[in-house]
Amino acid sequence: MKARRFGTVIGLLALCAVLWALTPHFLTVSNLLNIAQQTSINAIVAAGMTFVIVSGGIDLSVGSIVALAGVALGVMLQGGQSPFIAVPGAIAVGTGCGLLNGLLVSVGGLPPFIATLGMMSVARGTALVFTEGRPVSGFDEGFRWLATGTAGFVPAPVLVMLMVYAVAHLVLTRTTFGRYVYAIGGNEEATRLSGVAVRFHKTAIYGVSGALSAVAAIVLTARLNSAQPIAGMMYELDAIAATVIGGTSLSGGSGSLVGTLVGALIMGVLRNGLNLLGVSSFLQQIVIGGVIVGAVLVDTLLKRHRV
Amino acid sequence: MRHLALLLVLALAAVSGSCNRTPPADNSKKTVALVLKTLNHPFFVDMRRGAQEAADRLGVTLQVQAAEREIDVDKQMQIVENMLQTGIDVLAITPSGSREIVSALVKASKANVPIVIVDTRLDAKAAAAAGVKPQTFIGSDNYEGGKLAGEYVVSSTGGKARVGILEGIPGHETGDSRLRGFRDAVAKAPGITIVASQPANWERDQGFNVFQNMLQAHRDIDTVFAASDLMALGAIEAIAAAGRTGKIRVVGFDALDDAKKAVEAGTMAATVAQFPYDMGKAAVESAVKILAGEKLPPDIMVKLEMVTKR
Repeated sequence: MKARRFGTVIGLLALCAVLWALTPHFLTVSNLLNIAQQTSINAIVAAGMTFVIVSGGIDLSVGSIVALAGVALGVMLQGGQSPFIAVPGAIAVGTGCGLLNGLLVSVGGLPPFIATLGMMSVARGTALVFTEGRPVSGFDEGFRWLATGTAGFVPAPVLVMLMVYAVAHLVLTRTTFGRYVYAIGGNEEATRLSGVAVRFHKTAIYGVSGALSAVAAIVLTARLNSAQPIAGMMYELDAIAATVIGGTSLSGGSGSLVGTLVGALIMGVLRNGLNLLGVSSFLQQIVIGGVIVGAVLVDTLLKRHRV
Repeated sequence: MRHLALLLVLALAAVSGSCNRTPPADNSKKTVALVLKTLNHPFFVDMRRGAQEAADRLGVTLQVQAAEREIDVDKQMQIVENMLQTGIDVLAITPSGSREIVSALVKASKANVPIVIVDTRLDAKAAAAAGVKPQTFIGSDNYEGGKLAGEYVVSSTGGKARVGILEGIPGHETGDSRLRGFRDAVAKAPGITIVASQPANWERDQGFNVFQNMLQAHRDIDTVFAASDLMALGAIEAIAAAGRTGKIRVVGFDALDDAKKAVEAGTMAATVAQFPYDMGKAAVESAVKILAGEKLPPDIMVKLEMVTKR
């Protein structure tokens, strides 16, 4: 476990070293902040995804929840609500979608793949109906601080990301809920037999994923100065990739948020580096795909050797 | 895990062999960045060709980047931010979102990188509010193009038609202007009714599905106007699937190679030709003029043409 987490960090550092050698534009303060900012949205979504995947599930609806929560936020802000109402409101929308996913999985007994695939379509459709397909845009400067502001030299989206990870890490490693997330992913039946309210906890796990998708939506909406019903497409795949590159096993029971954060950074650094190097966008897709598969392949090989 | 590191090194080494890096030593060599919506569309591929031709002729380095998907404006913002890090001299861009991209252009302005907008206009209000002042806009007048298509429908049907419209992504300036132009032109003919108007999001497969559905609901549609050729080509397939090839008049926009072939084959009636190659060329030429300190007009219009069977 320790060695693997360490390995992901080495992977990230190696990638940085290569980029540093290839382009003088990579290792500058402004570019590194740039990367952190660009990674923040995927990283926040991936934090929620980590809870779900560690518990042995999957959440395909995160991208659509990003769109729906973003649109809800945008409509509230344009309706003259203060951000102090609209932001919690958006998080409530995301959490509600997540809890519904959780109920379908835990009480309804649906496979997570199907329940969240359904939500993926329903949430996207709702966002489109709600806005008649048009983006909602133009917000006041106070709200846009979430994208343009800085605390010291740390851009606001990065600050949000770090806060999310600090809290989520504590929850996953220091609370009973966190331990049950691992237990459910490790052996759900045994967890249930030992008296844990598995249904309740599974529902909550998807709620966490929905809530964090909404947090990502808030950052994205501030960044684009616009809430788009078509936003967040394919975010689920980026989030799953970051989680798995970070060493979380898709079969559940193991994984860490530190790993996921490093996984998200690897993807962010890779995309940034490919842009800096001026690699053609077609080639970029090949490289990104190769790195994802390669990272997980190494992970699998290491696991085989350890057992 | 050393394997992972090795893998990354290999992947990047492989890539770096094929990338075009800015030579740092030669200061006279300026870099023009062209950020497209996507490269999955022949329109933008043509635009890149035109830009490359001009860049080679004028001796500047051209860096072209695009998001994987046309609607991914966050990815486009990231590309702009990343390219600014490399010290580009001019930024030419086809915005994926007229308002959304403004935040990224603010960063270009702050870095004193002049901006050239190509094909899709910025939202004037959002740009003004953020203090973004592009040097020039290069593109075709989409409203005029839509009007051209509308006038063609009026004259070729004798002013009597039942029209289905395939729209682009809702809220996009390009599509909205084309549709406004089209509607204004056909509004002059009382015999023309628009029976349905639905978005197919610029995509061929959606053009197929949406038009198929439209035909189910309105069997009497005899003319379809698609705000882009890809959607029109999708509609042609849907018409063929319904066994009504030749009975429905299809009018597209963009004059893609496939569409021109369809016009020659008679499956498509007409398409509005834009000249993306010329736009790309003009973008780089304008960038070079900006570098030479020349002042440019606010709009540089590229011609439009109606393509029908010869």
